[in-house]
Amino acid sequence: MKFGSSEKAKVIRGKVSSDTFFRVFSERADRIVCYGLLGLILLFILYPMVCIFIRSLMGEAGITFGHYAEVWGKYREYLFNSVAVGVSTAVLCTLISVCTALFIYTRNGKLKLFLLGVILVSMVAPPFVSSLAYIQLYGRRGWITYRLLGLSLNPYNAVGVVLMQSISFVPMNALFLLGLLARIDTSSLKAARDLGAGPSEVLRDIILPLLKPGIYVTLLLSFVRSLADFGTPVIIGGRFSTIASEIYLKIVGYSDLETASAMNMFLLVPSIAFFFLYRHLMEKTGMLSDSQRASSEPFSLGLSKCRLMGAAVAAAALLFFAVMILQYICIFASGFMKRRGHGYVFTMEYFEELMRYDLSTMTRSVIYALIVALVGTFFAILFAYFTEWRRLKGRSFFDCLVTIPYMIPGTCFGIGYILAFNHEPLKLTGTGIIVIANMIFKQLPTSTKLCTAAISQIPRAQEYAVRDLGGGRFSVLRDVILPGLRPAFFGSFSYNFSTAMTTAGAVIFLINPGKKLAVFKLFDAVYSGEYAVASLISMLIIVIVLVVEGLVYLLSLKGEKRNVS
Amino acid sequence: MYLEIKELSKSFGERKIVDRLSFTLEKGELMCILGSSGCGKTTTLNMIGGFLTADSGRIYLDGEDITDLPPEERPVATVFQSYALFPHMTVMENVTYGLKFKKIKKSEARERGLKYLRMTGMTEYADVSVQSLSGGQQQRVALSRALVTEPKLCLLDEPFSNLDASLRERLRFELKKLQRELGMTMLFVTHDQEEAMILSDRMAVMDSGVFVQCDEPRNIYKAPASDFVRDFLKPDRILFSEDGSIMKKISE
Amino acid sequence: MKKRFLAGLMAALMAVSFAGCSSDTAETAAPSEETTAAAETAAPAEETGEETEESSEASETPELSGTMKVVATSEDYVTLFDKFTEETGVKVELLSMSSGEVLSKLRAEGGTPSADLWFGGGIDAFMSAKDDGLLEQVQFDAASELADEYKDSEGYWYSKGITIVGFLVNEALTEELGIETPGSWTDLLDESYQGEIVMSNPAVSGTNYAVVNALLQTMGDEEGWNYFESLNNNIAYYGKRGSDPLNKVTSDEFAIGISYIDRGVEATIEGSDIAIVYPADGIPWVPEGVAVFKNSENVEAAKYFVEWLFSNDDNLRMLADIDKKDGLKLIKPSIEGIELGYDTAILMKEDLSLFGSERDAVLEKFEAIMGDKAEA
Repeated sequence: MKFGSSEKAKVIRGKVSSDTFFRVFSERADRIVCYGLLGLILLFILYPMVCIFIRSLMGEAGITFGHYAEVWGKYREYLFNSVAVGVSTAVLCTLISVCTALFIYTRNGKLKLFLLGVILVSMVAPPFVSSLAYIQLYGRRGWITYRLLGLSLNPYNAVGVVLMQSISFVPMNALFLLGLLARIDTSSLKAARDLGAGPSEVLRDIILPLLKPGIYVTLLLSFVRSLADFGTPVIIGGRFSTIASEIYLKIVGYSDLETASAMNMFLLVPSIAFFFLYRHLMEKTGMLSDSQRASSEPFSLGLSKCRLMGAAVAAAALLFFAVMILQYICIFASGFMKRRGHGYVFTMEYFEELMRYDLSTMTRSVIYALIVALVGTFFAILFAYFTEWRRLKGRSFFDCLVTIPYMIPGTCFGIGYILAFNHEPLKLTGTGIIVIANMIFKQLPTSTKLCTAAISQIPRAQEYAVRDLGGGRFSVLRDVILPGLRPAFFGSFSYNFSTAMTTAGAVIFLINPGKKLAVFKLFDAVYSGEYAVASLISMLIIVIVLVVEGLVYLLSLKGEKRNVS
Repeated sequence: MYLEIKELSKSFGERKIVDRLSFTLEKGELMCILGSSGCGKTTTLNMIGGFLTADSGRIYLDGEDITDLPPEERPVATVFQSYALFPHMTVMENVTYGLKFKKIKKSEARERGLKYLRMTGMTEYADVSVQSLSGGQQQRVALSRALVTEPKLCLLDEPFSNLDASLRERLRFELKKLQRELGMTMLFVTHDQEEAMILSDRMAVMDSGVFVQCDEPRNIYKAPASDFVRDFLKPDRILFSEDGSIMKKISE
Repeated sequence: MKKRFLAGLMAALMAVSFAGCSSDTAETAAPSEETTAAAETAAPAEETGEETEESSEASETPELSGTMKVVATSEDYVTLFDKFTEETGVKVELLSMSSGEVLSKLRAEGGTPSADLWFGGGIDAFMSAKDDGLLEQVQFDAASELADEYKDSEGYWYSKGITIVGFLVNEALTEELGIETPGSWTDLLDESYQGEIVMSNPAVSGTNYAVVNALLQTMGDEEGWNYFESLNNNIAYYGKRGSDPLNKVTSDEFAIGISYIDRGVEATIEGSDIAIVYPADGIPWVPEGVAVFKNSENVEAAKYFVEWLFSNDDNLRMLADIDKKDGLKLIKPSIEGIELGYDTAILMKEDLSLFGSERDAVLEKFEAIMGDKAEA
């Protein structure tokens, strides 16, 4: 970490005025903020990881590599499973994501808003209830697969895992790709049409090549996310296991933290390797970013005229939307349907039961999620500012570090926090802080990626303009960076908020019995067999998330309008 | 009448952008449409290019009704304000892109591409990525790319407005020369009077979706048809040469 | 000095109140022995007067304060803990966690646990925690009334109930598939059930671990392991969550689940085509533990809670009522007002001491069997 010192020298040599005072002050504040942020990242990401690493070396008699030997001997095959699922999921999910993004991109007006709405809703995936809905719809006796299509498919295998992972990763990926598509200069699409290219040629020759870096990124992120995902294989893997689900089993079934820690370290090897590949490719997305002069006026591509390719894109996208909409209908319906004999009848019984539920946890969840969303987004913006805009030394190290929580199963990240913060002077266990910190840093990888992508779009000349006119670094941050990050702010806020409202895996180990979150109310309902109530709680969570996101969106629109006028 | 626009209209919601616009253009003629932003000039261009569907009215080019053709089937090429080059391709790939659809062999396409790059002075950059070019160079490539398909009509949408003044002047001059040499019919949209004045064979002043005056530039400056045109053009700031042609505009 | 005095007084009071309590129940319960239902309703009503007096005396003795943090298997116990709060002034906070999660959390915390009381969960996890030195010893007079097999001989854990295991059979599905409802463990080996049985991985499910251990004990090692090898052919998969068999059977996915049976299960399947079958050749069972975490913040309150629960039959009856289980009769044979709904003879003979000591070896061997069948 090294700051340019020329400016400081200039300040000292220059005459003392109130301006110099502010400069010296802001120089110092700048350092404090930067070191503070990096310090927090070291404390809340690196330190727990080091604790996990140390744990993985703990044997009955001192330090040992025995756990690694055991993992290598016993779980190599699962690593192969993980990689096989990861690759399949990455390919399938990217395919669906690209189609979905293209489909939305080529729509206009209300339909586009509706489809974007579906994507936003599907970013809120309440745990357990979503997977239950999938099984109700597509299981061996699923409504769609069995009753409608007459198939009796067994989804409890690797194929089921790949399908379910792919579907659940699509919303995030599609949003990312849509962001890239929005940056394509639409007049270059017009130019291609003008030169004789039909819609399908425009898709093939212009849009897809321009999307290529984004497609690589989607492939890699899905791969890494699939490696770390333990929920899906646990729920639907049947006899099929991956490293992540075996780690879960080691923790929940055997309470064998040492082996679980070693398996984690094992999992990090391919993930970190892929991370550096990702960074390399991400730099290539820069080619899209030369968009200062780009025209972004809507240009309808007419996917229906794209022949086979258009039909395939539309089919994949519509399939995805059908799956999503059905899933939410299914969750909604199970809150109001009661089983009677072979059929179902409508009932308000569960809804009334929900009304009797103690939902004070919901308030806490909302407060935590708001804090996580605001602070997490703030950290992400600062991180993007220091690493991407200021290009501090060591940024690739910190960028990698900040991505690690994305690479390991949530349960392990939670265990890491207990290992790290259960002793004085850093005793945080049992407090709300540890839960909030865990959520913030678990979600930081995605929010920093969003902010970094946005910050790279801001023309550097704007900073020079501010500096030129006498503004300091703080003015640049306030007048250039923050306004430029408004769309990313909304994206990061929504992601953080909805994830914080629904996450459970990492925080189950950190939550204090007196400070429960709404998700655990949902789990309680599930454990006592009240699936209908669980469905209703998750609907409530979805509604709250959408209302809060809607408010934030309106606020950000208002801010934008004020800026324009 | 090479190009004939008949009663062309377009509204966005309640707002009428182009209101029953009619005009004609002769082969080899360059017409500038001059107007402030929002007057409907770009919308007009977009309808002729095929990027927007007109609410009503027809467009005829060389005797053919092209109103309902998609852009790729219209013998029209456009040069955009933002150049609209394909960032993932080289200069040559950009220039010859349109020839792919005319079933022209690669070697021949390259030859034709070089010919047009020579006209714009860009031959030496043929195999360079377009991203490494300056703005002026990019617009030369865009011009070559539009002309290489030998369109019947070339549309230019404020092509020079992103360039600095001296470069703009030079490119104007080159464009005019090229247009004369090729006998290309061009429709040029701009908000810059000086540009319109110098380039135009005929010039149209557009406001609220209609042409308020359409004539040779000097006639317009000498006899503005309305107060609006007078206020907009400020003809008293124009210097005329002895033979009556326009020399230059005095800046404020 | 003062402390010792208090402790002495407390012990004396406890002895008195306990004697009073048991003689009291004997008296009131005796006349209405023919009709247990009447006894159940009558007995508490008559007792309340005296009991509150006694318990208020008892609760004055230990100086308890603050909050007791509890990890439990369910939120349903909140009424029981409310009663505890009412009588002692100790606030209770409840969080539900599976016993595997509790154990992992305990180990990660390394001796500074964030909860005070562990309430419910398969006894094997409690045995394991005791071996790791994570539990606090709790001794109290009434402990002597608890049956030896259901408590730790050194007082590290006690049992708050017994979970039994049965089959959940989706009869709509068995009818459709044309298979018979299985009636016993041996029935499950029938070829017609291939791919239709779901059980949980015994590593994550205390009850399914009990199945394995109990059947091994009953059949003997060799026959037992042969049994599981054959059963493996019929098992669709081993769930990684304890509730998997229940979920899969209720959502019509699989015909048969090997699952714990309790009130929650009964409520879930109410009104559906799912039947509970108690295997004729024996019901495996597992005690649900109660223990105090060593070194916890409010260890005194938690210790007193254990004593409070087991010393007062009212509390136990309330617990039995919440759980809708009558196994407490086995744990504390002297308790009145709870009658076993089944003959203890159908419970399998289990030596619980083997549950903890054999766990690693049994799970390892089981893992090998599970791995035998290629992935579907």
